[in-house]
Amino acid sequence: MSSSKTKQPVVTVKEVKKIYRMGKMEVPALKGVSFSVEKGEFISIMGPSGCGKSTLMHIIGCLDRPTSGHVLLDDVDIDELDDNSLADIRNKKVGFVFQTFNLLPKLSAIENVELPLIYAGVGFEERRKKASELLDIVGLKERANHRPSELSGGQSQRVAIARSLANNPTIIMADEPTGNLDSKSGEEIIRLFNDLNSKGITLIMVTHDQEIGDSSKRIIRLKDGEIISDQLTGK
Amino acid sequence: MINLKEPFKLALQSLLGSKLRTLLTTLGVVIGIAAVITLVSMGEGAKTYVLDQVRGWGMGANALEIHPGKAEMSMPELTLTYADTVAMKEHIPEIVYLVPEIIGKGRIKFGPTEYTPSFTIAVSADYPNAVSQKVTEGRFYSKAEEAGRKHVVVLGKTVANKLFGNSSAIGERIKINNIGFVVIGLLEEKGSMLTYDMDDMALIPTTVAENVLGKTKIIEIFLTIENEQLVPQAIKEITNLLVKRHKKEDFHIHTQQGMIDIINNILNALTGIVSAIAAISLLVGGIGIMNIMLVAVSERTREIGIRKAIGAKQRDIFMQFILEAVLITVVGAIIGIFIGTLAAWGIMAALKMKAVIAWQAAAIACFGALLVGTFFGVYPAMRAAALNPIDALRSDV
Repeated sequence: MSSSKTKQPVVTVKEVKKIYRMGKMEVPALKGVSFSVEKGEFISIMGPSGCGKSTLMHIIGCLDRPTSGHVLLDDVDIDELDDNSLADIRNKKVGFVFQTFNLLPKLSAIENVELPLIYAGVGFEERRKKASELLDIVGLKERANHRPSELSGGQSQRVAIARSLANNPTIIMADEPTGNLDSKSGEEIIRLFNDLNSKGITLIMVTHDQEIGDSSKRIIRLKDGEIISDQLTGK
Repeated sequence: MINLKEPFKLALQSLLGSKLRTLLTTLGVVIGIAAVITLVSMGEGAKTYVLDQVRGWGMGANALEIHPGKAEMSMPELTLTYADTVAMKEHIPEIVYLVPEIIGKGRIKFGPTEYTPSFTIAVSADYPNAVSQKVTEGRFYSKAEEAGRKHVVVLGKTVANKLFGNSSAIGERIKINNIGFVVIGLLEEKGSMLTYDMDDMALIPTTVAENVLGKTKIIEIFLTIENEQLVPQAIKEITNLLVKRHKKEDFHIHTQQGMIDIINNILNALTGIVSAIAAISLLVGGIGIMNIMLVAVSERTREIGIRKAIGAKQRDIFMQFILEAVLITVVGAIIGIFIGTLAAWGIMAALKMKAVIAWQAAAIACFGALLVGTFFGVYPAMRAAALNPIDALRSDV
């Protein structure tokens, strides 16, 4: 699947600026970023540290608000939403995958996957079933009752991916998903992303690793808070 | 999520996750509640004990005592007269029994034996009824005998023993201050009260007091009113009548309720003060909860960030933390009531009194604890709920 101009964008980023205030100093992290993401895309956002790629991802993922500019998610301007509605979007429309996995250590793998379903108000039986299916998709069904401390890094990240898929989100956001993994586990995660993408799931991934970036379909490069290139990889 | 089941499970999970801390926090609440319950129950128990003692002194709720002089005067002028009592009986229909008391010294002789009881008291024929005094042998003198100035006497046990030893006293002729009397009855043993031997007395009709004791001044008047409801009205009427006769209020009227009220007030005040001190420990327990919850919030900042990132609303986070505080309080309160009740029973049993478990106080203490738990849980829970997800995720804790 490649990006097609006839499709409706799932994410539109318009002139997004983010300025951090450090005491009296103003530090611009994003200086006006615009692009759109269509359904089924697999985009890598790349750039050196401090270029603003994580900030951009947090804003698209409704974890943070831009200083100015607009982000439209499924045609909804997230600027106009209150904190509770943003929480709702994070719950149902966005799935997060973090570099450090961010699983809850006291919960088992399946309980971690169930967490977004709990906040979505899904009953116990149904969410157990769904979580079990998701663990099957990421190949960890037999590890359902293990705690994160009993899982390897690659396994933990796969649990996190299963969790991000729980509420059938519009888009999966991954922040350096292979950053804490050895190269073999990293490759497995990228393969899993490619599988998911081939099933029609839209993905945005932040990485500084060229090889990982090349595995996606489109690469947006950032430098000093601005887009310096936006190219298809030809995949 | 309006459903409380999930936040409840979450709260329980994290409480069980740090057992020792949960236990110590709960202990604060347990001690607070137990202290309140124990002290209030002991206070109520002591009150019941003292009031039972007061009631045991023989006055009933419909009984009155009229004493000469103002209440504060220790040596009042004895202004109440026999004529006053006659007037009262005549004009105040609520009076059922009226007993004037004239106390004097009577030297009693029986043959060669001589004895002077602590009290020789002239009382009316109403006496046994008015003060619930039973006669164990023989009988009390009648109104007719009183009116007829008959020289009859009823003796207390101590006096009878001194004069007659083990042989029967009824029908024996004795002399009181050299005036001849016939013993017609023996009073039921009363034992001692405040070190006075209540059986060391001889009772004679009011009408012979002047001749035998050389006295007519009434030291007090016992009254029995028809029923409890009529007591206030009777007091008013008696006051009016006596003020009219004496031209001034040179007497005072006691009721059992008056005494009970005073004792009640004192004991309530004591219980209140002690309970207030106990309530402070409950407050300290509450602050303990707040402290531990604040620690929990900062310890679990990252967890809060993760939960928020995957869709937990402020309300969800708030509920999770407030329920932890409430759970600690509820469990603490239940254990506290249990321990407090046991302690109250134990201590009062050791004091040979009975604890009155103050369920009302228990309910108030629990409600208070819940309030404390919620109140001191709200701030940490709000802090947790208000955390920015991004800042929380970045937290290294």
